[in-house]
Parts: sequence; C-alpha cells; structure tokens
Amino acid sequence: MRAVRIRFKKIENAKYISHLDLTRTMARAVRRAGIPLWYTEGFNRHPYITFASPLSLGFESLCESMDIRLVEDMPMDELVRRLNSVLPAGLEVIKAGEPVMKPKEIAFAAYRIAFQNSGFADFKENIREFLSRQSIEALKKTKKGDLKNVDLKPALKNAAVRVDDRSVVIEVVLPCGGKDTISPNLLCSAINDFLNEKSGTEQKLFCNIVRVNLLNGEGVPFK
Amino acid sequence: MSYRLEDLFRLVQKPGRYTGGEVNSVVKDKGKVNIRFAFCFPDLYEVGMSHLGMKILYGLYNREPDIWCERVFMPDTDMERLMRENGIKLFGIESREPIDRFDIIGFTLQYELSYTAVLNMLDLAGLPLYSRERDSSYPLVIAGGPCVSNPEPIADFFDLFVLGEGEDASLELFELYRKHKAGGYDKEEFLRDAARIEGVYVPSFYNVSYKDDGTIASITPKNGAPAKVRKRIVEDLDSAYYPDRFVVPFIDIVHDRAMSEVFRGCIRGCRFCQAGFIYRPVREKSPGVIDAQSRALCENTGYEEFSLSSLSTSDYSRIEELLEKLLGWAEERQTNISLPSLRVDGFSEELAARLNILRRSGLTFAPEAGTQRLRDAINKNLSEDEILKTAQKAFSAGWTSVKLYFMIGLPTETLEDVGGIADLSQKIVDCFYKNPDRPKGKGVNVSVSVACFVPKPFTPFQWEPQDTMTELEEKQRHLRDLIKTRKITLRCHDPATSSLEGVLARGDRRLCAILEEVFRRGGRRDAWSEHFSLQTWLDAMKDLGVDPGFYANRRRGYDEILPWDHLDYGVTKKYLIRENQLAHQSRTTPNCRISCSGCGAAVWGKGVCTE
Ligand code: SF4
Repeated sequence: MRAVRIRFKKIENAKYISHLDLTRTMARAVRRAGIPLWYTEGFNRHPYITFASPLSLGFESLCESMDIRLVEDMPMDELVRRLNSVLPAGLEVIKAGEPVMKPKEIAFAAYRIAFQNSGFADFKENIREFLSRQSIEALKKTKKGDLKNVDLKPALKNAAVRVDDRSVVIEVVLPCGGKDTISPNLLCSAINDFLNEKSGTEQKLFCNIVRVNLLNGEGVPFK
Repeated sequence: MSYRLEDLFRLVQKPGRYTGGEVNSVVKDKGKVNIRFAFCFPDLYEVGMSHLGMKILYGLYNREPDIWCERVFMPDTDMERLMRENGIKLFGIESREPIDRFDIIGFTLQYELSYTAVLNMLDLAGLPLYSRERDSSYPLVIAGGPCVSNPEPIADFFDLFVLGEGEDASLELFELYRKHKAGGYDKEEFLRDAARIEGVYVPSFYNVSYKDDGTIASITPKNGAPAKVRKRIVEDLDSAYYPDRFVVPFIDIVHDRAMSEVFRGCIRGCRFCQAGFIYRPVREKSPGVIDAQSRALCENTGYEEFSLSSLSTSDYSRIEELLEKLLGWAEERQTNISLPSLRVDGFSEELAARLNILRRSGLTFAPEAGTQRLRDAINKNLSEDEILKTAQKAFSAGWTSVKLYFMIGLPTETLEDVGGIADLSQKIVDCFYKNPDRPKGKGVNVSVSVACFVPKPFTPFQWEPQDTMTELEEKQRHLRDLIKTRKITLRCHDPATSSLEGVLARGDRRLCAILEEVFRRGGRRDAWSEHFSLQTWLDAMKDLGVDPGFYANRRRGYDEILPWDHLDYGVTKKYLIRENQLAHQSRTTPNCRISCSGCGAAVWGKGVCTE
C-alpha cells in the first residue's frame, strides 16, 4: 500500500462543486482512471480519499490537496496523466507524490480576491477607504452558531492591493484550519456592506476568490 | 443593474443543478449542428437526472452529428425568481443559451402533477403557452412519456406527442424535420407530414365534440391524420441503442448510479398498474448484452453501484445466469449491484447471500391489498403465506424491520379489505415474536405505507369511479383506528394529491383551460408537496364551471367514448372489459409466461407473445 498526495486545481465551473460533492466526484474519477485505489476494510467499504482543507463553494483554488492510498504502486506521472484524462473541466491535477506534511499542520491560506465593479459608484475609492480604516470589524459565526466579532485589520496589514481599470485585487493571507479560521467571505461581505452603506443601495458585490496557497505555521507552503 | 446568468450561480442553492460541465455531458459546436433540441424534464435536476428514459434519449440524439440535445430542468424557486427578475430565459444546461431559439423542445411527461411545471417552463422560456399561438418562428414543442397515453388535459399546449417508446419515432421525426428545415420550415406542413409517422399524435388534427351530458360524442381526425394512433415499441432490445455512458452529476441526485435496463414491459398484469399495460409486450435483453452494457457504463462513469432496472426485475427469465455474469466482475471492482423491486423469494440462498439482498434493500413487500379476495380482484399475485414465510426467514437471519406497501380506494374494496391491511401487518409482528430464532432483545418494526388508488387509462380500471376525498379519509381513519401497536408505523398518502391526479389522468381537453388558469393563479410545482394547493385547482374548476367529480368519481359505461379512445397501446378494449369483469368476480388472470390471455399486444409479434 502506498500513500499518494495529489495536488490539483479547482477552477472555473468546478468552483461550484461543494466539498461533499467533490469527494464523490474524485472517487468516481479515480475509478474511471483505473487507478488501483485502496478501500477501507469492514462492513461498509468505501474508497480511502481525504482532503487536506475543505474549500468553500464558489472559491477557486490552485493548491488543493487530496490523499489516496494505492494497493499497487504505479508511476506518478502516469497517475497524473490518467486522472487528467477523466476529470471534469475545471479540475486538473498538477502533481502527485509522497505526502510530506500532515494536513493538520496547515495554519494559513493565501487568497487572491478580485472584486468586479458591479455598478457601485466610486467603487475603487471606497474600497481603498475601507481598507485604510484603523480596524475592520466583521461578524463571524462560531462553530456553536453564535456570532463573534473579529478584527480583520491585522490580517490585512500585509495584504497587497492592486487596482486596475476594471477591478480591485487583494492578495491576503488568512488563518486557515481550526477555530481561528477566517473566511475571505467575511472580508467580502464587510466590503459589500460598506459599499452599500456609502451608496445607500442593497446590491451584491461579486468577487472572485482564488485560494493560491496553503501554508504551515511558519509560512512554508504545504507539501 | 441586472445580473447575468453566471452571477445567479453564486446566489442560488445548489448551483450544480444549473452549471453543467458534468463528466459525459455533451457540448457541441453550435455552428456545426443543424437541430438544437431541448430535452425538458418538468421537475428538479435531482429528479430528472435520475430518469433512465432521459439518459437513453440524450445519448441517442447526441449520437447524431447534426443534432445537439441539451438538458433542461425546472429551476427551484430561488433560481426562478432570480431568472424572472433579471430577464433570463430558460436555458439549456450545456450551452447556457435560451431555448426559445432552439428547433425542438421536447418534454417528458412522467406524472400528471408535473403539468403546471410544464406550463411554467414554457413561460420561463418566453413561449406562448398554446400550440395555436406559436407560429413557424417558434420551436416545435413535443412530448412523450407515460402520461401521453392520455395527453388530452395538456393537449392544447403541444404541437405533437410521441406515443410509446420514443427511440425510433423521434429519429424519424428528426429526419422529417431536416427535410422541412432545408426547404423552409412551415409548422402546419411539417405537422401534416409528421402525423403520418406511426406513433405521432398531432392533437390539433382531431376535433372532439361532446354530448349534452358532457361525455364525448365523437373524435374526428382531419388533415389526413389516422383515426387511431398506435404507440411505438422498440422491437429488439438487444440491437437497440443503449448509452455506454451517463452524465455523472456533481450534486447528489435521487438515483445516483448506473442503470442497466433488463427488459421492458411486465408479464403480470396487476389491474391497477398502468405501466403493466402500456409497455406491453415484455421484451427482454440477453444476459450477455446486459453484462457488456453494465460494464461499459461502470467504466465510463466510475459509478460504484449499478441497478438492474425494469418494472419487476425478478421476473427476468434468466436472472440467475445474468447475476452470475455480473458478479464475476462487479465483486472484484468493488461495484455494488442494486436490485430494486425485487421478490426476495426468487433466489437461491447462495445467490441471495452473495448479493446481500436483505442487507441492501431491507425487506419490502407490496401486497397492495389487505385481503386475498381483493388481491385477486386486482390480480396481485402475492399470497399471505408467501409473505409470512419470507418474513419468517428474514427474522431468523437477524432482520427486525419490514416495509409493506398498500393501496386504499381500490375497486370493489370494502372496510373489511381495509381492515385486512391492519391484520396482515399484525400477523407479521406476531410472526416475529413467535420466531424462536429472532434477534434477542430487539423489537420489530413494520412500516406500512398506504397510497390512494388512482384509476388510469388503458387499465381494466379505466371505467371505475375513484373514491372521493371524504371516502379516502374515512378509510384512512378506519385503518388508523385498527392499528393498536406501536410496532406498526402507518404512513398514509395525502388523498388531496391523488384526487387531483384522478381528475387529470382521465381528463379531456376541456381541462386545458383549467391548467392554464391554475398556472395563472400561481400553480407551478404541484408535484412538490410543499407547493401543492388543491384549493387553487378546486377554485379554478369552480370558476370555470368544471366538475372534478365528472372526471374522477363517475363510473363510465363500457360503451362511452373515452378521451383516449383514438390512441392505441396494443391492449384492446375488449380485453380490458373482460379484465374489468373478472375483477368484479375476484378472479385472477395468469401472467404472460403461464399463458397468454390475448390482450392484443401480440400485434407486434415480439417478445413474450412469441415465446
Ligand atoms: S398478447 Fe398475450 S403474451 Fe402478449 S402481452 Fe398480451 S397477454 Fe401477454
């Protein structure tokens, strides 16, 4: 039996595959590819597939990670090739190999968030103003379901902000894993609320969120 | 500021219902196809995607290089609201393009309660509802499916219907469409030619007149349309097209697995069951063909489970041979075989163990009626003895729960028959406690599900009055009172939905106006219990002067012209009358394998009729 870590992209249409559905989608792809997958023993046998860090519905990612076990060894480049030939559009394996870190070690994720101007007046200026505030409060739902106030400002201190004609792009590293996780959705809805407040509207601000990297506690990319 | 379709995906529940891009979905270059076809299923993605007929036709149509068949489902309420608010028309999942620009829009009509969803989808597509309001510039709107055996209540909205199994007839229809399109398509001319294709029914080519008592006086064809339209069947299933791949959905659907069709039709002839008559005669596939098709499907989809699909799979004449073949590779590949509608007693113990039949599906019986007398009347060939013996075996093997399916409101039914449901359920409970090998320290649960009978066209009960809602409720109350133990869980279906089905199933064209009215008053999703409102229907019928009892609760005479009399499903009226009379004498009819009872389906000279 050999443990294999598969790194893949989840982009475009595939961003609408929920985490639960991704498990099924991957299991079936592995079967179509004829990869000798190891099944759990026992009463209700199922393929052993685990993901390092669940991705929210609607996010794209360039750095997803899934672990499988093989009952027979096979060359990794062949595994990658076979999987890519059967995956739906938007899921693409980048590489496969020996797992190095444990998924538990993941502590941060880097995101690229692009806001499209969907009709807000002074959209760019207002986003800039928002980001330059002393503190950026957002309400976060805890596991228990209560709401908790978190300050996004510390995380945004190191954020890179790029503004071009059509969009504002923020690159930011947020805590990921465990109870301190901060979803980029929190930032987006805080900006959305701010823009609506400024313009007296109730519009939806669309943004495209891409997870670009998973990092451990020291900021080393997950391997 | 309005949203684009892609924006809506971010705003709705389960976007996977609308995004497409699934493995094995077919995307073609629209510049290179001649016929754009929208296959519409008037229900949610999860329901429509589970339907085998749609998978077969999707594959068959897309095999034609110049046809692009796309899937269209009924959007859920959140999506529909956003589409209407943003002026986004109903679209094909594959291209995300509005279907009002397509050549042909085809609906499958699986249940009567989906009719308002059909109207809603036409409306969402931006099309006028009535066939007569759509000239040659609109797509052709057609339908098939079991409800087409009496499409009259929805006839005015469709340009044509395809009766029976659609494979061959629709290909012939496409061929005709190609010719007409090349020569400048004119809808009326096309329909005249289409009506000559066997199995094609153009409702506007038939005049229906009525007597003073509201019954039909005559149904008269015009424009050269045939006096009777005969359904189509696929004559040889071994050589017929069967898809080697299914679209593999991202989201969880109702039946998320590969499906292999083992035969069409049913030998049994249970008198309440429309499917048992309209799909005659039974035609089987050979084990080798089923085996190869199952294997290809599993390989191309990656499904970890496949089912053997038919109306009654244990009636397949070579079931053991087939299962041996299938198990040969399925076990090794960790692939489960699921066997719905199975008679547990039909298997050798060894095979049953390998299939894990009990563990998989639990123990399920469908006695349908509570007494032997009534089971004879409905020709349901399952004796109390068989049920109790099988239950006994299952309890010895460690089982503690049993599911039973019954109906109330069956013709000739008395309160004694209704009470029989409670008695039989109690006997199964007793059987558990009398069994010395029963699992110790555990109780038994007998779950009893009771549906309300709806008389359907082309069955021996097509003349029978349906019980009124009050009668059905009375019978349900009676049954509830008779069940004394909590070991029996009773679940009764809502008589309101069955009552409406009863009106629509045997309705005539005058109901089209009711359908439209209900749709205008907000009826959209009657097949979903949380959206169903009987009151809306009753009010519409009252306001338009239609009496639902005329359609549902009236006994029809054998000599009355029925709204579907110009349609021919093989089974003859003479045979159905005889079956109706036998039912009233509580006499059974043997199944097609024991002896042929001359139903009329032998006209095709195929399948079980020639065995
Ligand atoms: S003709 Fe005879 S064998 Fe054929 S379907 Fe009818 S009853 Fe069955």
